[in-house]
Amino acid sequence: MENEGKKYSEQVTVRWYGYIVLILTILFFSGVFSSAEGPIKALDFTNISGSFGSLGEITEDAGTLASDFRGTGGSGARDAWLFALTLVPAVMLALGVVKVVEYLDGLRAAQKLLTPLLMPLMGIPGICGLTLIASLQSTDAGASMTAELAQEGMIDEKQKTIFACFQFSAGATLTNYLSSCAALFPFLSVPIIIPLVVVFVFKIFGANMTRIYLNKVCKGEI
Amino acid sequence: MEEKVKEKKTIVDAFVEGARNGYKISINSMVPNVLFAFVLIQILNLTGLSDILGKVCQPIMGIFGLPGIAATVLIAGFLSVGGGVGAAASLYASGALGNDHITILIPGILLMGASLQYMGRCLGTATVKNKYYGFLIGINVLNSLLSMIVMKIIVSLF
Repeated sequence: MENEGKKYSEQVTVRWYGYIVLILTILFFSGVFSSAEGPIKALDFTNISGSFGSLGEITEDAGTLASDFRGTGGSGARDAWLFALTLVPAVMLALGVVKVVEYLDGLRAAQKLLTPLLMPLMGIPGICGLTLIASLQSTDAGASMTAELAQEGMIDEKQKTIFACFQFSAGATLTNYLSSCAALFPFLSVPIIIPLVVVFVFKIFGANMTRIYLNKVCKGEI
Repeated sequence: MEEKVKEKKTIVDAFVEGARNGYKISINSMVPNVLFAFVLIQILNLTGLSDILGKVCQPIMGIFGLPGIAATVLIAGFLSVGGGVGAAASLYASGALGNDHITILIPGILLMGASLQYMGRCLGTATVKNKYYGFLIGINVLNSLLSMIVMKIIVSLF
């Protein structure tokens, strides 16, 4: 028994900051700074949790109502939770529609139209079309398909790097735009399509910067 | 027989599959990232760092027609797209950012979005040579900054 206790205490090694973190954590959950003055009030669980928004006030049969269940004037983790929940239906709808478009061959049509443009636009062969469409939906799918293309010798090292650059900037463009960014659509002061077009223009711009860089600077390397 | 049943995917199945994927992404990726961003902003607000950050970043962010505090959106966005969007939404709710600011920021968030994560998930998986990582991250940041200048001009046209 004694031996065992010794063994365990020998096994546990603690980096010096572990103790500081432990003390700060205890303070964080203890609530001693909940009504402190100044920056120290950030070291309190309740304060970081924040508050749910107010759903409105009614006095004497008249008052205001918030536009949705998130309410107004919330903050911190609590407000984040309700805000994030308000986004879920739009994300489900958008990605559902994308799948239907895919089912009805809409994405294949895009791929077909895109294929002859890839060489003049970015200097990569038309065979990358399918991978490109996939990369707009999923970063992981695009990247693994790119690795396969390179393995099979369909694209060379330079083309792979250019193509990866295209995918790397604004990865999973469609999915991210329609899921996360959908949260900001109600606040946009331009039509929804415009920021997306700008993003595509710069994805291609970036890929060409890499193309120039590889051709001029890294001439001999690849 | 079973295989034939599998092949008969209807348009409804396709929609439901996509919607289910949207639900998974929302719950597993978007919600935690948005929560992170709101907590980050809450810490900055409680400590008063947001005022300091706003002042320090004002000269740079001013180039893009943005207030200094918008820098937190880009920093959070560099870590995750959901984080950047969450930070933007949180700042919009408190009135620190307006509609034009949000519009300018969206391409900025996306183009350098989640660069840190995508280094492994995109460049790593695609077997890009390590020596190009730095350059490619630089391209993301450059894309992001230039896109915001373009958006600033577009916004002024509307």
